[in-house]
Amino acid sequence: MLEGGAAALLLFAAIVANGVGMAWVALSMDVHWQQVQGTAPSRGAVRRLRVLGALGLACGLAACLRVDHASMAVLVWIMALSAAALVVTCTLTWRPGWLKALAWLAGCEARP
Amino acid sequence: MFQSFRQAMAWLHTWFGLVLGFVLMAAFFFGALSVFDREIDRWAIPETRIAPQPMPSYEKLLRPAFERMQPTPLAIDAMRPRVDGPMPAHFDTVDSWSAYTTHRDPVLALYAGYQVPHAKDAEERIWAYATIDPRDGRLLPDEQLKIGSGFFFPLHYGLTLDWKNLGIWIVGFSALMMLAALVSGVIMHRKLFREFFTFRPGKAPLRSVLDLHNLTGVVALPFHFFFALTGLLIFASTYYFPLGETQLHGLHERHEQAEARETGLPHARADVSAGLANVDAMVAEAQRRWHEHGKAGEVGFLVLQHVGDANGYVSVYRAGTDRIALVGDGIHFKASTGAVIHEDPPATPVARVSEFLTGLHLQHFRHWLLRWLYVLGGLTGAACIATGFIFFVEKRKKQHAKTGNQGSRVVDALAVTTVTGMLIATLTLLIVNRLLPERLPAAWASRGDLEVYLFWAGWALAMAHAFVRSAPVAQERANPAWYEQCRTVSAMALAAVLLNWITTGDHLIKTVFTHPYWPVAGVDLFLLASAALATVAAHRLKARLGADQLAQSTEAGHA
Repeated sequence: MLEGGAAALLLFAAIVANGVGMAWVALSMDVHWQQVQGTAPSRGAVRRLRVLGALGLACGLAACLRVDHASMAVLVWIMALSAAALVVTCTLTWRPGWLKALAWLAGCEARP
Repeated sequence: MFQSFRQAMAWLHTWFGLVLGFVLMAAFFFGALSVFDREIDRWAIPETRIAPQPMPSYEKLLRPAFERMQPTPLAIDAMRPRVDGPMPAHFDTVDSWSAYTTHRDPVLALYAGYQVPHAKDAEERIWAYATIDPRDGRLLPDEQLKIGSGFFFPLHYGLTLDWKNLGIWIVGFSALMMLAALVSGVIMHRKLFREFFTFRPGKAPLRSVLDLHNLTGVVALPFHFFFALTGLLIFASTYYFPLGETQLHGLHERHEQAEARETGLPHARADVSAGLANVDAMVAEAQRRWHEHGKAGEVGFLVLQHVGDANGYVSVYRAGTDRIALVGDGIHFKASTGAVIHEDPPATPVARVSEFLTGLHLQHFRHWLLRWLYVLGGLTGAACIATGFIFFVEKRKKQHAKTGNQGSRVVDALAVTTVTGMLIATLTLLIVNRLLPERLPAAWASRGDLEVYLFWAGWALAMAHAFVRSAPVAQERANPAWYEQCRTVSAMALAAVLLNWITTGDHLIKTVFTHPYWPVAGVDLFLLASAALATVAAHRLKARLGADQLAQSTEAGHA
C-alpha cells in the first residue's frame, strides 16, 4: 500500500494508461479509425491496436493494484474505465484529429 | 400483446423508465451530492469549518461531554405516554454512551441512551444527542441543518417521505425497476459494442439524444447496476426483511441472550455498581491489535455499554478507511478492569461479500479519486435518465402536435422540473442557508425547517414555470423554460459562491491558496463549474430557440 505523492502519481499513471488503452480500443474499430484517419484501417493495424489497447488497460489495473487494497483498486479501475470511455467519446466527437498522435504512437499510420 | 421479446422489453423500458425516472433522477443526483455530504455540511455550517480530527481522548474530553448530556424536553414529552407514572427530573441510569466520527468529520457526534424508570417496554431507551468540537469539547449548535448528511443524504434514499418509510419503499421499488430497465435497455440496444464510443450531435435531435442516452447508460453500466443492486441490498437488510426484529421477535431476544453467552458481552445490567478502568488504555490496546493484523488504526466508533455497572463493557470499532468492505473489527473490554472480553471474529465468506457490497455503496473508505469518480458515475446516471425523458418527448411530439395530444408537453415540463428544477431547488437551499440570520424569531419555524420548506418552494416554483411555459411543445417546438432555467441556474450558482464569500469571508483565493480548506473550496469550485456549464447550455438552447422562431415566422410568411 502506498501513501502520499507516490500514490497520487501512480493513480495519475493509471488514469492515463486507461485513457490511452481505451483510445486504442476505439481506434481499432473501423468507424472510429475512419473518423480519425479518413481511411480504412489495415487488418494488421486493427490487431495491433486491440492488443495494445488491452495492454494499456491492464497497465492501468496494475497501477491501481499497486496503490490500494485489491477490493478498492478494482473499483477505482472500473470507474476510471467509465471516465476514460467518456473522454475518448468526447474527443472522437469534437476533436478526432487529436487521436492521430495515439495512432502514431501505436505505430499505426494511415494508409495513403 | 407484443410481437417480439424486444418489443416487450421496449415497452417495459419506456413506461417504467418514464414513471420511475423522476424518482431515480433525484436518487442519482442527490446520491452524487451525498458522496461529499460531510463537505457540504462544512459549507452550510461555517462554525464547523475545521480540519477533521481523530477520536479524542475519553478521559480528557469525552467523559465530561457525556456527563453533561441529558435528553431534551421535547424527547421527554415524546416519551411520556409510554411510561407509567411521572418522568424523572434527571436520567441517571446510562444504558450506553457512544461517539462516532469518520476521517472526513471535523465534528464528533455523541449519543447517550438512558433507562427510563417504569417504561411500558422495559427495553425502550430515551436518547440524547450532541455535536462537539473534538479539539476542546465545546458544544456545537446541533439544531442547524446539516444540509449534506442531514438532508441530501436522506433525500437520496428516502425522498424525506418518512411516513411509514414510504419514501424508502418508493426508492427501493425504483431501484428494482432500474435493474430491469438496465437489462431491457441492453437487450433493446442493437449495437452495444459497435456504438460504444458514439455520440453524433450533428445528426437529427432524435438520433443524437439516443446516442447520449446509450452512451451515459452503457459507459457507466457497472456503476448503475451495482449501485441500484447494493442500494436494494442495504434496504432489504435494514427495512424490508428485518426478520430478526419483526416476525421472530421472541427468537431474537433468545438469540441475543445466546450471543451474550457466546461472546461474554453481558446483555443486561447486573445492578451492581462498579468503576471504570482507563478507556484510553483500552483504545490503545485495540489499536495495537489492529496494527498486528496490518489494519489502519483510527477509531471510528466508541461505545460504553451499561455505564457504571459491574456488567459494563467498552467496545472499540475501527474506522474502515483502507478498504471497501465496511468492517468494524470491534474489540470489547470489561469496563471495570480493562481486560479484553472478546474480539470480533473474522467474517464468514458470505458476510464478507455483504460487507464489500454495502461498503461499496456507503463509502467509508478514504479515497478522494474514487469519490470523484462516484460523483461522475452518479451524474452520468442522471444524464442517462434526463436524455431518456427528452428522447420520449422528441419521439412523440410531432405525432402529438398533429393529434392535439398534450402528452409530450406534460412529460417535457416534468423533465424541466426534474433536471433544471432540481438544480434550482438545490441552489435555493444553499442561498437561503447563507441569507437567513443565525437566530430567527421564536414564533417562526426553526432555521433548518425553514431552509427545507424554501427548498421545496423553489422546486414548486420551477415546476410551475416549466408548465406555464410549456405550450410550444404541443406545437412541436421547444419549451423556453429549458433556456430560462439554465440561465437561472448559472446566476444562482454564482450567487451562492458570492454569498459564501460575503457572509463568511471564505473566498476561493483563501480556501485554495492562502489557507487551504478543500471541503469549502470544493463546493465553491463545483458551483462555479455548474454555473459555467449552465451558461454554455443556455447559449446553445437560445440559438435553437432562435432557429425555431425563425422557422415559424417563415412558415407564417408562406401561409
